Amino acid sequence: MIEAEYVAPSNLGELFKSIEGRAERVKFVAGCTNVLPDLRAQNPAPMLLVDLTGIEELRRIEENNGVISIGSLATMTELAASEIIRTHGPILASAARALGNPLTRNRATIGGNIADASPAADTAPPLLALEATIHTEGASHAKREIPVEEFFIGPNQTVLNQGELITRITFPIPKDPSASSHIKFGLRNAMAISVVSVAVVLEMQGNLCHRARIALGSVAPKPIRAYLTEKELEGRKITEEVLESCAEVVKKEISPITDIRASAQYREHVTGVLLKRALWQAAREGENSTNGNI
Amino acid sequence: MEQRVFSTIGKVTRRKEGIARVTGKEVFSSDVTLPGMLFARVLRSPYPHAKVLSVDTEEAEKMGAICVTPDEVPQIRYNERQVSIPSKTYRDRTVLPEVVRHVGEGVVGVAARTEALAEEAVRRVKVEWERLPAVFDPFEAMKEGAPAVHEDVMLGDVRLPIKNNIACVREVSEGDIEEGFSIADFIVEEEFRTGRAYHTQLETKAVVCRPEPDGGITVWPTAQSIHNTRQLLGRIFDIPLSKVNVVRVPIGGAFGSSIQMNTAVAVCAALALKAKRPVKLCLTREEDMYDHCKYPSIIRLKYGIKKDGTITAGEMQTVVDIGAHNIQAYPLLGCMAGWFVSLYRMPHMHFHGTAVYTNKAPACAMQGYGNPQVSFAVESMMDILAEKVGMDPVDLRLKNYVGLGETFWGQGPTVRSIIRSCGVEEMLSKGKEKIGWDKRGKPEEKRGRYRRGIGVGRSFHTSGTGAPMPGEVIDYSTAMVKVNEDGSVDYLTALMCHGGGTLEAGAKIVAEVMGVPLDKVGISPSDTRSTGYDVCTHATRGVYCGGAAIKKAAESAKKILLEFASRLLEVNPDALQIRPDEELGQGVIFLEGAKDKAITVGEVAKTAQLKGWGTAIAVESHRQVNCPPCFVTNFIEVEVDTETGNVRPTRAVAAVDAGTVINPDLAAGQLEGGLCRGIGLALLEDTDYDRDTGELTCGASLVDYKTYTAVDMPFVDDLEAFFANTYEPSGPFGAKGVGEAANNCTAGTVANAVYNAIGIRFKEAPITPEKVLKALKENGAAKRRAERND
Ligand SMILES: Cc1cc2nc3c(=O)[nH]c(=O)nc-3n(C[C@H](O)[C@H](O)[C@H](O)COP(=O)(O)OP(=O)(O)OC[C@H]3O[C@@H](n4cnc5c(N)ncnc54)[C@H](O)[C@@H]3O)c2cc1C
Repeated sequence: MIEAEYVAPSNLGELFKSIEGRAERVKFVAGCTNVLPDLRAQNPAPMLLVDLTGIEELRRIEENNGVISIGSLATMTELAASEIIRTHGPILASAARALGNPLTRNRATIGGNIADASPAADTAPPLLALEATIHTEGASHAKREIPVEEFFIGPNQTVLNQGELITRITFPIPKDPSASSHIKFGLRNAMAISVVSVAVVLEMQGNLCHRARIALGSVAPKPIRAYLTEKELEGRKITEEVLESCAEVVKKEISPITDIRASAQYREHVTGVLLKRALWQAAREGENSTNGNI
Repeated sequence: MEQRVFSTIGKVTRRKEGIARVTGKEVFSSDVTLPGMLFARVLRSPYPHAKVLSVDTEEAEKMGAICVTPDEVPQIRYNERQVSIPSKTYRDRTVLPEVVRHVGEGVVGVAARTEALAEEAVRRVKVEWERLPAVFDPFEAMKEGAPAVHEDVMLGDVRLPIKNNIACVREVSEGDIEEGFSIADFIVEEEFRTGRAYHTQLETKAVVCRPEPDGGITVWPTAQSIHNTRQLLGRIFDIPLSKVNVVRVPIGGAFGSSIQMNTAVAVCAALALKAKRPVKLCLTREEDMYDHCKYPSIIRLKYGIKKDGTITAGEMQTVVDIGAHNIQAYPLLGCMAGWFVSLYRMPHMHFHGTAVYTNKAPACAMQGYGNPQVSFAVESMMDILAEKVGMDPVDLRLKNYVGLGETFWGQGPTVRSIIRSCGVEEMLSKGKEKIGWDKRGKPEEKRGRYRRGIGVGRSFHTSGTGAPMPGEVIDYSTAMVKVNEDGSVDYLTALMCHGGGTLEAGAKIVAEVMGVPLDKVGISPSDTRSTGYDVCTHATRGVYCGGAAIKKAAESAKKILLEFASRLLEVNPDALQIRPDEELGQGVIFLEGAKDKAITVGEVAKTAQLKGWGTAIAVESHRQVNCPPCFVTNFIEVEVDTETGNVRPTRAVAAVDAGTVINPDLAAGQLEGGLCRGIGLALLEDTDYDRDTGELTCGASLVDYKTYTAVDMPFVDDLEAFFANTYEPSGPFGAKGVGEAANNCTAGTVANAVYNAIGIRFKEAPITPEKVLKALKENGAAKRRAERND
């Protein structure tokens, strides 16, 4: 049986007032697609459920001076449909489209997805590759800006304090000419937690990769950046040979586990395959964009 | 006389239950709500094998909860499935056991005012367990000294000791198997394995029981047979059947998992009788996943074949891991022998099947009842044999299939009949064209990351379990048809519909016979008190058997109606006909060629009432003396990603020979659904158990027990379903079944397609990306070795 008090504030002011002095018992609820299954599984202690869905200011997706800002309540459906995201962060739109199923996507929010901090969280690799920043607000209005690579600590663990709210997520529009790609590999095409997922953002000059940002999901205790692999790639032309060496290097950066979905060896192998594919796709797109004929 | 031109049969019509279903108005068992109703939860075993030493319900009862414990329920040992005759029924369970044999087996039933309170009360029940050693692998289980899942069971009324966990064995021989192999040019032997799939029906099992003031009980269960549920409850709780009323409730899918009375029903009934109040029990998905699964099988298959492609002999040995209870393993083994024998002609054959107990969730029938398992092995083998003798796989099948005029075993060796309709050739030849069979190429010619391959597979299913003589299985149906005073018609049966449109088909049959428009035929609510016996909607028998009884009742009612009309029209009743008149919205009885000799059905019925002649009403029981095969054929194209091992179905052609097709759109839907399921059996679906805890490794959750969804299927334009043009002389208006056939050959077809793509034969389903990748690597290494040695 779940014992809970429930509040539904309609703005941030109301929210912080209603949780004052009770931060340690707060459980934020956005789309509820993680909260509900978790509550059913856990038989938790009494809590204060804070429904975020009435707070309109947390919904906005906008562009300001080369920075994209996404309210934490933006749903997967909204991200996938947003012109701004499709133009400036297509890998995030792609990840949003790949999460769960249409019903889930209508409810699941980006704030909930990263606060839940599953190693397989679908929006995490794109946000890592886009070098996003998580903006939070805690009790007594303390605000923080946390780079997404510092946000996750381990499976379902983040640097968030009790009662600390994600208000929005921002990322700078990648420098032109850039190219990106995202691949999610699961055991079926919908309703599948990924076996491996890859997101890459490349700054390209012709076939030459200036700068690479590579992120991976489901191959470590948390979503990760593949810094060594990025180094391996930067300053080189994208050729079969370079991709092969990237696929080798990436294996040193990951620590996949064996679970019901796949073995560690299989994940390691597929990470290499998907990385090559993602880089190849991005490189082709990069070439096309400098040719101006997307 | 064969009727082949129809007014209603074969037309695409709006489904009667359709609106209630899509608007959420349909009342399923979990929606039934009664005044004063309590909600039940069940305390379940956390152990795969343990003795219940004591149960303390005091704390729960202090909360006001009602509890039933193993020593409070009738100690009758029963089998939850009532389809076989008693002497062939293995009985190994009680309502609540004193020894639990799998994780999730219910031990204490608890009812309280709300579900949350019942859950809390369950937490307060204390059980003292003595853990017993458990066994999970069927081969381990058969070893001397393995933990005994059951010491003994009852076979009929006789106590049967269980040795080495062998629940039952079945052996069937025809001809002389040694002779058959000795005249063969080649002998091929292989072992195949299929997964322990979960039914994944939409609706988890649910039931509401209301004790009646007269000592009886009314029950709203998830069930495929209301009459069998009634008989069993009557026996367990010693209540006369006239006081046990089981109500037909729409079912949210079953795939065979509700042929038996669900475990929830007996626990709920015990609680309701004790509480003297209505009680509802709905299983969670986790509970449901520990309640039933498909029979997984290991099949050793050996064929002898001549150079010209004639099969001379076949031998099948199977071990089936049935889990903790023997629900229907004995008839299953018989059926597996039957599926084997009836696919391809074998002058000499031998079958040996062993069903083994383990400490896992009990297996039961699931779409195809052993047939997808047998067909996976046999259809894979047909391709292996074709390659061996250098024949096209389609030609080999055409040469050896069991067809028109030959004997078919619809339910194992005791249920045999002659095939009188057969669309095998038509489906194979049309299917070949549609998929582009001749362009499929050879595996060694294929290159690149993504390789496509096309496979063929065929199979069939029985339509019901009828036979000329009574056998081991019971099969008949009862129906009532009556004409109302406005010309509309009611029909009543205990037949169930699992979602495939069985009752809709019944309405079409009534409309066709009675000559009234379909929307003037009503499907009456049904319960066991007001209906005659119907065995069960299983074995793909709904339309063929149930429909035949409905047709017979409609014909009898029509006879009475025409007799009434003959008095009014002054025409001999045998000269009268009825046709539906859309404008009048009812049937018109007429004499051909005589304009003045016509009258509406409603006018006749009303006049008959006013004059006191009576109602045109009839009840008929009917047994089919056949169970004809509904043949099925698949052609499937897959694409193998050689870098990840992922297999994706890209195109498919699915055909069925269902005789006259009564609901074309629903039948096509079944073909597509069966295809999706079959692809899942081939590539995805399985369950495994943790050897230490006895728990399902998927956590009994649909997050990690996956079935394919619409987006995993070929695109709509790349998926074609078609029907063979046949007519079954023994079926109602020429109809046979569809349901189970739809998925029977798919897994084998997929395995054959994968072989055609990459030249690797997978004999273990599901063919997961990991297995494919591993095999590709081994194959590549072997090839490189061979090249170096060259
Ligand atoms: C059927 C199904 C399929 C799914 N498939 C996928 C999938 O493919 N990929 C995937 O990544 N996930 C999947 N999920 C998980 C889930 O849908 C996502 O993680 C989703 O994004 C969570 O968002 P939500 O708004 O529903 O979060 P909620 O459930 O409301 O919250 C999740 C967690 O985040 C916290 N939280 C929510 N909002 C905030 C905030 N603004 N600030 C601080 N903390 C907050 C909550 O307290 C809670 O701990 C699936 C879930 C279901 C039920």
